[in-house]
Amino acid sequence: MKYRVIIRKYKTEWREPKYVSYEVEADPDTSVLDVVEKISLEKDRTLAFEHACHHGACGACGMIINGVERLACITKIGEVARNGMVVLEPLRGFKVISDLAVDKSRMFKQYALVKPGTHEKVVVTVEVEKLLDCLECGICYSACPIANTFEGYVGPSVIAMAYKSSSNGKVPAIIDSRRGVWACHGSFECSARCPVDFKPGETIMKIRKELLFGKLQVV
Amino acid sequence: MNIGYVLRSWFKLRGRSLEQVSFAARRLTGMIMALYFLAHVIDISTVVLGKDVYNAFLGVFTSPPAILVDLFLWAALVIHGVLGLYSLIVEMGIMVEKRKTLLAISWVTIVLLFLMGTWVMMNVF
Repeated sequence: MKYRVIIRKYKTEWREPKYVSYEVEADPDTSVLDVVEKISLEKDRTLAFEHACHHGACGACGMIINGVERLACITKIGEVARNGMVVLEPLRGFKVISDLAVDKSRMFKQYALVKPGTHEKVVVTVEVEKLLDCLECGICYSACPIANTFEGYVGPSVIAMAYKSSSNGKVPAIIDSRRGVWACHGSFECSARCPVDFKPGETIMKIRKELLFGKLQVV
Repeated sequence: MNIGYVLRSWFKLRGRSLEQVSFAARRLTGMIMALYFLAHVIDISTVVLGKDVYNAFLGVFTSPPAILVDLFLWAALVIHGVLGLYSLIVEMGIMVEKRKTLLAISWVTIVLLFLMGTWVMMNVF
């Protein structure tokens, strides 16, 4: 089947992004990522995008597909195309590096703010095995209306990770702050769009409840 | 960050959940009521220009077309108030797993309260 794929392209030297249309022949079961790779190989060698595992485990290929945040590798083009058309845009809430590739350092920097550092704990602590459920794809940041507009917000996934990696009923002080759980306005788009059902929104509300009722303390 | 980007983030509805739609509705009605409050402060301030000016200005708000504005404001108030209560409960971590049911009840309540208010405005005033 023939699809019309429209990609938002932007290079740092450009003043404005532009939408470029490509005609692609693909099976409806083909993943959007495979279609993007086909475009990159056959039609536009300048197209920039991120990918790695191709099976929904690394979180690299998060993008906005027809208005909704998804992982391109596990999204079939036939399921998301509208009248044979698919619009691809980079994730919101992050600086665009080039085309569909964004700079997620805004999210990764927050790991350093959360004590104890969750990255270190993933390596050494068995209880943090659950943290691997989070792909760190950044989709929750893109979908959240607050993370989109409040640069200082720690962010849905990092808050949830900080809570799940905490021990002795204590969380880092930043979680109990305007930059932490109290920035959330309960739109739950983070949970709705999360490709692995990590439920950051529900976890944020759970943290609030425990803080309000004295079951959780800050360090 | 420009205002257009902020508004597109807050009011993005395409492909979004009922929770996001309700968040957007709550925020929009909050903004409408804040603007109304500002307009109200301005309109009552006309009293400093004299009794006649104030009464003439007030006449605008009691004219028949003004009922549409009143209905609009009532809708905004009801949406903001009821969704505010929903938000108060869920954002304290209570009934988080049942929030979709709670949200459905909230929207039904909004419709009922709006209809009740409309009936009162049409028949009493």
